[in-house]
Amino acid sequence: MKINENCVGCGQCASFCKKGAIEVKGKARATDACIDCGICVLYCPVKAIEVLV
Amino acid sequence: MKAIVIGAGLGGLLSAARLSKAGYQVDVFERLPITGGRFTNLSYKGFQLSSGAFHTLPHGPAGPLAHSLKEVGADVKIVRSDITTVRVPLKKGSQDYEKGFKDISFTDFSTLLSHKDRLKIALLIVSTRKNRPTGSSLQAWIRSQFKDEWLVKLADAFCGWSLSLKSNEVPVEEIFEIIENMYRFGGPGVPIGGCKGVIDALESVIAAHDGKIHTETEVLKIFVENGKAVGVLVGEEAYNADLVISNLGHAATACICGEVLSGEKDSGYLKILETLKPSAGIKICLAADEPLVGYSGVLLTPYAKRVNGINEVTQVDPGLAPPGKHLTMSHQYVAPENVKNLEAEIELGLQDLKEIFPNKKYEVLLTQSYHDNWPVNRAASGTDPGNETPIPGLYVVGDGAKGKGGIEVEGVALGVTATMKKILG
Repeated sequence: MKINENCVGCGQCASFCKKGAIEVKGKARATDACIDCGICVLYCPVKAIEVLV
Repeated sequence: MKAIVIGAGLGGLLSAARLSKAGYQVDVFERLPITGGRFTNLSYKGFQLSSGAFHTLPHGPAGPLAHSLKEVGADVKIVRSDITTVRVPLKKGSQDYEKGFKDISFTDFSTLLSHKDRLKIALLIVSTRKNRPTGSSLQAWIRSQFKDEWLVKLADAFCGWSLSLKSNEVPVEEIFEIIENMYRFGGPGVPIGGCKGVIDALESVIAAHDGKIHTETEVLKIFVENGKAVGVLVGEEAYNADLVISNLGHAATACICGEVLSGEKDSGYLKILETLKPSAGIKICLAADEPLVGYSGVLLTPYAKRVNGINEVTQVDPGLAPPGKHLTMSHQYVAPENVKNLEAEIELGLQDLKEIFPNKKYEVLLTQSYHDNWPVNRAASGTDPGNETPIPGLYVVGDGAKGKGGIEVEGVALGVTATMKKILG
């Protein structure tokens, strides 16, 4: 999962992550628990998350 | 008559409820899978955090938003919070909370002034109601009247908390309109169920009037024919309408209008759009077993380095946290030049909280920051060009087009009311 420059750090992705795999401090960051399921992509209000394929 | 609403934030849903109730066939298009924009709940570790707003209506059960909700028949209970308090250092002259503090009622702020300044405040409270100051920032106005920096600190805490601006960025006219509204409507309140309590109630109203909300549906273009808004493009499908309401703010709305808004005649409007600045802020969400604030009123913290104010919403609605827990949220203004240093700003906020709540146990649940395309407000209070656009049939609502003197969601409600007056008469 890649988080691009659009991220504002609102934490919306973290609240929808089923794995608790997103940390937020000014910007979101995926931890090792991320399984690239891509659910967070849908909920990002600023199109900041790209799933790597 | 058909109306299309772009964006299911508070402004969009409030408009949709009003229009569907007035007999319009309403379609709301929302890009995200959830509705409510920056005014809904986010479930996190058993807590109901929020996507933006503080589960608070700045003027509580008597304010413009509460009034609009009643008007459309949205069933929300809004509970008035305790009076706002201000945390001040125990010792006069201290510049922080390290050596102790006390909380005073917001309405007693003048007790910390000299005898002479207290008299002056009393006179100004009377005279400014008739002759409102104009033409400067709040800070410049305060400094022109008083030499006491306490008032500037208090103004910064208040403006930071309620507008996410500094007192030198807020027109003095806007603050006096807000003060007038405080006399008129009273202080804050919390909707039961938090922000989502309001959103759910609005959706029920829309559904009851056969309005439709389409999530995960992005509007790509607004169609304009003969100079008038006539519909939108969603995917490859065109939807026609007599009316288009955008909840996206003026700038983003202009973007999906395309070349229609580029002529000489629109240059004035487009110039205003360039001046609109979104405001930035940081929210820190705390979880605690014992209350940190201890009452439902806002706690302003003018002597903190960054944090402007704090509220503990579980004092009103315990359902916003797991049983026996409290949810406490702080807000801090972020200066434009510090948006690139958010981590450092959050760190300063966390240090503040340690000073504000010494010897108290809490867990930092989540830090949330807002700026640029997902800001606190799309346009700083008192600067937006209103709800109309150069295109007839196209209106803008939401936090990018608030009414005058409207704090946050109260401004959203005032803006929607003004828009509906233009449309429905």
